[in-house]
Amino acid sequence: MKSTSEYRNRLIKLAILPFLIVNSAISQGQENDNNPVELTPCYMEGLSDRLMCGSIAQPLSDNPADGEIDIHFAVIPAIKPSNPEEAVLGFAGGPGQGAVDLAQVFNRNLRFARETLDIVLVDQRGTGYSKQLQCDSDDLKTQFAFNDAITDLQTMSKQDTEQCKAKLNVDLSHFTTSAAAKDFEAVRVALGYKGFHLYGVSYGTRIAQEYTRQFPASVITSTLDGVVPMQQSFAAIGEAIDASLQALFERCESDAACNEQFPRLEIRFNEFLARLEQQPIEAQVRHPRTHEMIPFTVTKMKFYSAIRLALYSHTTRSIVPLVITKAAQDDFSPLAGLMANADLTQSLAMGMHNAVVCSEDWPQLTPQLRTKYSSTYMGKTMIEGLDIVCPILEVKPADKAFYKPLKSDKPTLLLSGARDPATPPSWAELAMTNMADATHLVAPTATHGIGSQTCAPKIIAQFIEQKSMQDIDTYCIKDKNDKPFFMNINGVANTHLTPATNKE
Amino acid sequence: MINIIKVLFKKEVMDASRDKRSVMAGLYYAIGAPIGMCLLMSILLQQLASPEALKITIENASNAPGLVAHLASSDIKMADDKNDPLLKPITLSISDDYKQNLSEGRPATVTLIADKSDDKLGKHINRVEKAMAVYGSEIASLRLVSRGIDPNLMRALAIEVNDQATPDSKGGMILGFVVLTIILTLFYAAMSLAIDTSAGERERNSLSLLLSHPLSSLHIVLAKVGAIAAFSMLGLIVILVVSKVVYPMVAWEQLGFSITITPEFMLFCIAICLPIALMSSSLQVFVSFMAKSFKEAQSYVTMVLFIPMALSMITTYDIATDVMQWLPIAAQQFALMEFIKGNPIPVPQLLLSTLITLILCAVFSFLSARMLKSEKVVFGL
Repeated sequence: MKSTSEYRNRLIKLAILPFLIVNSAISQGQENDNNPVELTPCYMEGLSDRLMCGSIAQPLSDNPADGEIDIHFAVIPAIKPSNPEEAVLGFAGGPGQGAVDLAQVFNRNLRFARETLDIVLVDQRGTGYSKQLQCDSDDLKTQFAFNDAITDLQTMSKQDTEQCKAKLNVDLSHFTTSAAAKDFEAVRVALGYKGFHLYGVSYGTRIAQEYTRQFPASVITSTLDGVVPMQQSFAAIGEAIDASLQALFERCESDAACNEQFPRLEIRFNEFLARLEQQPIEAQVRHPRTHEMIPFTVTKMKFYSAIRLALYSHTTRSIVPLVITKAAQDDFSPLAGLMANADLTQSLAMGMHNAVVCSEDWPQLTPQLRTKYSSTYMGKTMIEGLDIVCPILEVKPADKAFYKPLKSDKPTLLLSGARDPATPPSWAELAMTNMADATHLVAPTATHGIGSQTCAPKIIAQFIEQKSMQDIDTYCIKDKNDKPFFMNINGVANTHLTPATNKE
Repeated sequence: MINIIKVLFKKEVMDASRDKRSVMAGLYYAIGAPIGMCLLMSILLQQLASPEALKITIENASNAPGLVAHLASSDIKMADDKNDPLLKPITLSISDDYKQNLSEGRPATVTLIADKSDDKLGKHINRVEKAMAVYGSEIASLRLVSRGIDPNLMRALAIEVNDQATPDSKGGMILGFVVLTIILTLFYAAMSLAIDTSAGERERNSLSLLLSHPLSSLHIVLAKVGAIAAFSMLGLIVILVVSKVVYPMVAWEQLGFSITITPEFMLFCIAICLPIALMSSSLQVFVSFMAKSFKEAQSYVTMVLFIPMALSMITTYDIATDVMQWLPIAAQQFALMEFIKGNPIPVPQLLLSTLITLILCAVFSFLSARMLKSEKVVFGL
C-alpha cells in the first residue's frame, strides 16, 4: 500500500460528492462599447463558437489588506441580439465547478435563449480561472488500490486536509456563497447589462438565490434547475440518492426482461453492501486506460459512490443492474469501467467546495438533523467527512439570515427531475415557499439538471423571453426520457439464446 | 464651367422628376428587392427548420425497442397511420437477426431506405442517421464500460474547432446576396432614367436643341451623368433604409447567424457606392447613345448590366477571389461584406478598384462626349 501522503482528499472526494452539473457550459456575450473591461476572443472545450473572455479585479474581502482576486468570465454572444441590455447569467454547480469551462453545456441548455440573448458565465471565486482552490488528488491507480475502510482513515484525512489548507494558504471564509454574489454583480456592472436572467443548476441555484437576495434589482427572471433550498443542508442528499436508486430497482423489477436477467436486484445490492461492510474485497482489474493489471480494493464507499454517480445520467443508469449483478458475482470490471468514467473530482475545486459546505451546510447540522440524515449511508458518510474537514479549515459559519428561504417576487421557474439523486422535487417545493411568482415543473423520469434533458431548453427560452410562465405549454416535460437497461455486456439480451456466447 | 454644369444638372433633374412614374419605377426595385428577399428567406427558413416531430416507417420495430425509444426521444417517431401528414418516405428496416447480433457483440444491421436525391428529404435523412449514430456510440461506450474500459479510449484525438466567425459573419452566401441587391440598385434605380435622358432625349428631338447651345458636349454628358447618379444614390438610400427595417424581421437566428444593417454600414456603403453610381451612370449613358433608338438602348443597357451583376456574383459565390478582389464592383462588394462581418477592410484593393471605377467613369463620359460631336449619333442615323 502507498504512503499516507498519497491519500490526500480521497475521503473528502468520495464522500462529499457535490451537486454536480453533469453538463454545464459558459458563454460570453458581445463587446460593449462603453465597457471598461477588455474582452478578448477565447474558446472553450467542445464549443467551436468564439466567446469573449475577460476579468475584473475584485476585493477579496472588506479588508483592503487582503488584496484582490481576479474574477474571470466569458460571454457567449447572442446570435441575433434583440435586447443587448439583458443577458442570461449561468451559475455552475458543485460547489466547485467553474462555469466558463462548462461553456458547451450552458450553450446547449440555453441554445434557444441564446438566439436573442448573450450568455454570461462567471467563474465563481475559488473555481475555474478565478483563483481555483484545488487540493491535490490521487490518480486512478491509487484510488483503485486504496482501502478506505482502514482504521486510521480519520488521521489520514486530517493530514490531507491540513496539507491542503497549507497549500491553499488563504482564509476560506472569503469564498462562501454570500461573498461570491458580489462578484457576479460587479461583472454585470462591468459588462453594462441592465439585468440578468439567472440560470442556475444544482449548487448554482443556491448562488442564484443568494444573488437574487443581495441584488434583486439586477434580476429579471430566475430559472432554478435542480433546486437547493436555502434552508436545507445538502447532507439531506442521502435520502435523494436512496430514492433515486429505489426508483431504478423498481423499474427493473417491473420490466419483465430486466427482472429475468437481473432478478432480486435490490436484495443482491444490499447483500453485497453488507458483504463489503464486513470485509473489503481485494481484487485485480485491468486499468481502464492502460490495460495493466492493477489491484482494486472494493470497499462499500467506493461501490456506493460509483453507483451513486451513475444515477446522475440515464446512460449510466442503464448499466447499473449489470454492474451490481456482476460485482456480486465477483466480476469487478464493469465497476472499474464505471469508476473510470466518473472521474469528476478533478474538475471540482475542492478548496472552494469545502469553504462553501463548511460555512453553509456543516454549522447547520443540529443533533436532530444529524440523526435524521445519518439514517442513510451517504448522509452519514458525508457528515463524518465534514466533521473531519471543517474543524481544520475553520471557515466562518454563514449568518442565520442565509438560511431563510428566499423571498422574491421575480418570475421564477423551478425545474426538478423525479429521479434526481441529488435535488429531488421536494427540495424545490421547500425553496419556493416565499416566492410570489414561482412555477415548479417536474419531469417524471428525468434525473439531475433537467435543462439538458427533455424539452426544458425550449421552455426555459420561452420563459426568459416573455418573463412569465403564462400560456407556455409545458406538457412535453412529462415525456419519458429514460433508457432501456443494458441487459448483457453487449447491450440488449436475447433471452432466447443461451447466455454462454456472452461470456467475456 | 461649374455653373454651366450646375444649370444643366438642374435641368436634367427637373426633366427626370417630371415623370414621377418612371422615377418611382426605378425605386420599386430598391423597395421591393429586400422585402422580396426577406419573404423568400422566411419561407426557406420554415422549410429548413426541422419540424418538431418526424414520422418514419420502421419495419420490424419490435426487434429493436431500444433504438425505437432512442429515436422517439429525438422526436423521430414511428407512424401508426399511413396517411399521417408528417410521415416522410423514410423507412428503417431492422434486420431479423438484429437482437442476436447485438447481444453477441456483432454489428446489428439497420437499413435506411430513402431517396437521397429528394432535396426536401435530405435533412430528415441526416437527422435519422445522426440519431442512430448517437445511439450506436452510446451502446458502444457502455459495452466498453461494462468490460472495465474507459470509453474515451475510442477518442484518440480530441478535436477542438475554434471557429473565428461571429454571428454577424456566419451569414456567408446570404450576406453576399444582401450586398448584391444593394449594389445592383445603383444600376437599376436609374436605368430608365439613363435611357430616357439620352436615347429618349434624342427621340424627342430635344438633344439637338440642347447641342445647338454654346455648350461643350462634355458638359452636357457630365450633367446627365451627375443627375442619373443622384437618382442612383437616392435608390441606394432607399434600399439601405428598407433593408435596415426588414432584415431584422427574418428569424436568421434559427440558422445561427444574424444580419444587422448598422448606421455605420449605411454611411460606409454610401461612401463606397458613390463612385460606382457615377460609373454606372456614365456607362448607361454611353451605351444608350451608342444605340440607334430608345428600344435598342433598352436592350443594350439590360445586356451591359450583366457585367456588374456578374462581377458582384463572383464575389458572392467566392469564385477566384484572389484576382477578382482587385476588380471594380467585386472589390467594393467584398469590402462591404467584410465590413458587415466586422472583419478588417481590404484597403489597397478598395482604393485601387475605386480608382479604376472613377477612371472608367471618366472614359465613358469622354467617349459619350465625343460621340455627341458626331451627327450620326445626334440624329440616330
